[in-house]
Amino acid sequence: MPGTRYLKDRLGLYLLFSAVVTSFAAIVLFLPYDTLYLRDRMYLRIFLITIILCVGVFIFGCVYNALLWMRGRGLVGTPERRLLGMIPRVIRFAGRRLGGVTSAFAMDAVYLSKLKGRSLTRWSMHLLILGGFLLMFLLDLVTTFSLDIAKYGPMIQDDGWAKLWIRDFGLDLAGLMMFAGLMIAFVRRFVLRPKIVRTELPDAASVLFLLAVVVGGFLLEGMGIAGRIPGHESNQIYSFLGYAFSSVMPASVGQYYDQAWLVHGVMSALLIAYIPFSKLFHMIATPIAIEAEKMFPSEVRH
Amino acid sequence: MKKLDISSLDVLSLMRFDACTRCGECTTTCPTGGEAQDDELVTPRGKILKLREMYLKQYGLKARLLGAKDVPDGEMKELTSKAYECTICGQCKTVCPAHLDTISMWENMREFLVANNLAPLPAHEQIIKSIENYDNPWMQPRTQRSRWSKKIDGEVKIKDSLKDKPEVLYFVGCTAAYDPNIREMALNTARVLSRAKVDFGTLGNDEGCCGSTLLRTGLVESARKTAQRNIEKFERAVPSMIVTSCAGCFKTIRQDYPKIGRMNVKTVHITQLVTELIDSGKLKPETRIEGTVTFHDPCHLGRHVGIYEEPRKILESIPGIKLIEMERTRDEARCCGAGGGVKTAFPDLSQKIADLRVKDAETTGADMLVTSCPFCYQSLKSAIETKGSSVRMMDLLELLALSVQKD
Repeated sequence: MPGTRYLKDRLGLYLLFSAVVTSFAAIVLFLPYDTLYLRDRMYLRIFLITIILCVGVFIFGCVYNALLWMRGRGLVGTPERRLLGMIPRVIRFAGRRLGGVTSAFAMDAVYLSKLKGRSLTRWSMHLLILGGFLLMFLLDLVTTFSLDIAKYGPMIQDDGWAKLWIRDFGLDLAGLMMFAGLMIAFVRRFVLRPKIVRTELPDAASVLFLLAVVVGGFLLEGMGIAGRIPGHESNQIYSFLGYAFSSVMPASVGQYYDQAWLVHGVMSALLIAYIPFSKLFHMIATPIAIEAEKMFPSEVRH
Repeated sequence: MKKLDISSLDVLSLMRFDACTRCGECTTTCPTGGEAQDDELVTPRGKILKLREMYLKQYGLKARLLGAKDVPDGEMKELTSKAYECTICGQCKTVCPAHLDTISMWENMREFLVANNLAPLPAHEQIIKSIENYDNPWMQPRTQRSRWSKKIDGEVKIKDSLKDKPEVLYFVGCTAAYDPNIREMALNTARVLSRAKVDFGTLGNDEGCCGSTLLRTGLVESARKTAQRNIEKFERAVPSMIVTSCAGCFKTIRQDYPKIGRMNVKTVHITQLVTELIDSGKLKPETRIEGTVTFHDPCHLGRHVGIYEEPRKILESIPGIKLIEMERTRDEARCCGAGGGVKTAFPDLSQKIADLRVKDAETTGADMLVTSCPFCYQSLKSAIETKGSSVRMMDLLELLALSVQKD
C-alpha cells in the first residue's frame, strides 16, 4: 500500500507535467497564425491538436525515462521524489555553470570533438543531422515569434530580408544539412553496411522517419512554389531546394497544398513524440549524462 | 517471474545506458569483443543494448502498460559471462564520442550482476574467498606477506610504517609481495627508494589486499570492508605520501578509496615519485644500459588515472636507452588482457589479447618491452614465452634499478 508521501510525490509530478503541457497548449492555441497560407483552417486545427498531443507524449516519455534513471542507486526517496528534488538542483547547477554547460553541450554533444579525429565521415554526418535539426528548430522559433507575436514586417513581406534569408534560405539550408547527413547515414547503414554499423528496427526507423520528414518539407515547399501559393510567389530562388523540386511539379499540385501541409506537420509532430521512445533519445540523454557526472556527488558512483 | 533488481545500478549508469548512441565506435577497438574474438555481445555496445533490453522488459513503458516479461535465465547467464570477458581496460571510454564513463559502467554492471545472484563467476570465487580469508588473492598466509624483503635485509632499510612512521608508505600489493616471479618488482622499488634516500616503510604483514579484485568483479561490499581496514592502517601510519608500484593498487587507493572512506594522504604511483626524484637530482640514473625499449601503458595507470608521461621520462633519463613507441600508445594502448578478472576466468582469451600486444611490441623492433604493472608484466611475459618472441620483458623499476645501482 503506497504511503501518503509517495502519493503526494506522484501527484506533484503529475501536476507539474500537466502544467507544462497546458502552458504549451495555451501558447500554441493563443497564436493567431495570420500569415499561414492555408485555405482551410480546419487543417490548422487538426495540426494544433496533434502537436499538443505529441508534445505531451514527448514530455511524458522524457519524464518516464528520467523516472527510470531515478530508480538507480545513489539518491534518497521514491523515483518521483528524487526527480522532483532534482529539478531545483539542476536549475541551480545550470545557473552556476551556464557557460560550462553550454560549451560542453556544444563541444561534446553537437560538435562531437572526440569523433572528429577518428572518422571525418561519421563526424560530418552527425554534425549535419544534429546541426541541421537544431538550426531548423531555432529558425522555426524565430519565425513563429516574428510572424505571430512581433508581427515583424520584413518577416511577413514577400521581399522582406528576414522572409528571404531566414524563412526561405535559412530553413532550406537547415533542411539541406539534415538531408545531406541523413543520406550519409542511409548509404552507410543500408548500402555500404560496414561492420561497425548495427541496424535493427530502432536504427532504421529513426533514419527513415527523419528522411521522410525532411524530404516531405522540400516537397511541400515545391508544391507551394509550383502552385503559386501566397508567400511562394516571388524571389523563389531563396528557397533553393523547394524551387528545385517545384521545377518538376505541375502547377495543379497547389490544390493539394493544405493536405500536404497537414501530412508534413503531423509527421513532424509524430517525430517529436517518437524521440523519447527511440534511439534519438540519446540527443537528450547524452548531454544530460555528461553534465550529470559533474553534478552528482561521488558516492552516487560508488 | 524473476524480477531484476535495478536498484544496484547507479543513477549515472542508467542515464548512460540511454545516452549510448549505438554508433559502434567502441566495437572495433574493444580488445576482447572486437579484436581477440568477434563477439558483439562482449563489446561495450553489445552489453549496453542487451542489459537495457532486459531491464526495459520489466521496467519500460511497454512493461508498465502490457505487463512485465520474464528475462530467460539463459540470456541472463550469457550476458553475465560476456560481461566478465571484459578486461575493463577503458579503451571504450577513450573512443566513445558520447563521453560515457564506461569504466564505471562495467564495474557497476558487475555489481548489478552480483546483486541479482548471477555473479561472481565460479572461477573468481576462490580468489574472492582467499581475499576475504587471507587478505590476499593467492591463498597465502598473512605472516608471509613481508617475506619478500628478506632478500635485501642487509642492503636496504625498510621501516615499519606503523611503528616508525616514516614519511612515505610503500604499499607493496599482493602480487609483488607473494608471487615469486614478481617479487623483484618490490625489491627494485625498495632499492630505488633507498638509493634516493627516501624515508620509507611498509605495513609489513599488516598490509591487506587493496580490494581491487573485489571491486572489479562487482563485490563492492566486500571491497568496502577491505578498503576500510587499509584506510584505518593508513590513519595509524600517518605517512605524508602513499606510493604503490602496482597500477591496480594505485588506481584503487587513489580513485576508489576516497569514495569509501576519508583519505587524508596523497597517493602516487612509483613512476610519479621517481620522476620527481630524478628531476630534483636526488636520483641519478648513471649506469649505461644499451638497448631499445617500448613502453606498454598499463590500463589502470594510463586510461584510468591519466599517467602517461612519467614512465617515459624515467626511460629517457636512463643513459643508453632508446624509447620507441608502439603504434597504439598512451590512451590508445592495447590492453595486456589480464585485467577485470579475465586472466583468471578466461585464460585463453587473456592470452589472445596479450599476444596482440606483444605483436605490437615486436613490430617496433625494440629489444625490450617495459611496463610498470605486475599484472601486465605477468600477462605479457607469459605471451612472450608462449610465442617464443625475442622481445625481453622488463619492469620499469628493474631497468631503473640497474641504472642507479652502485658500481
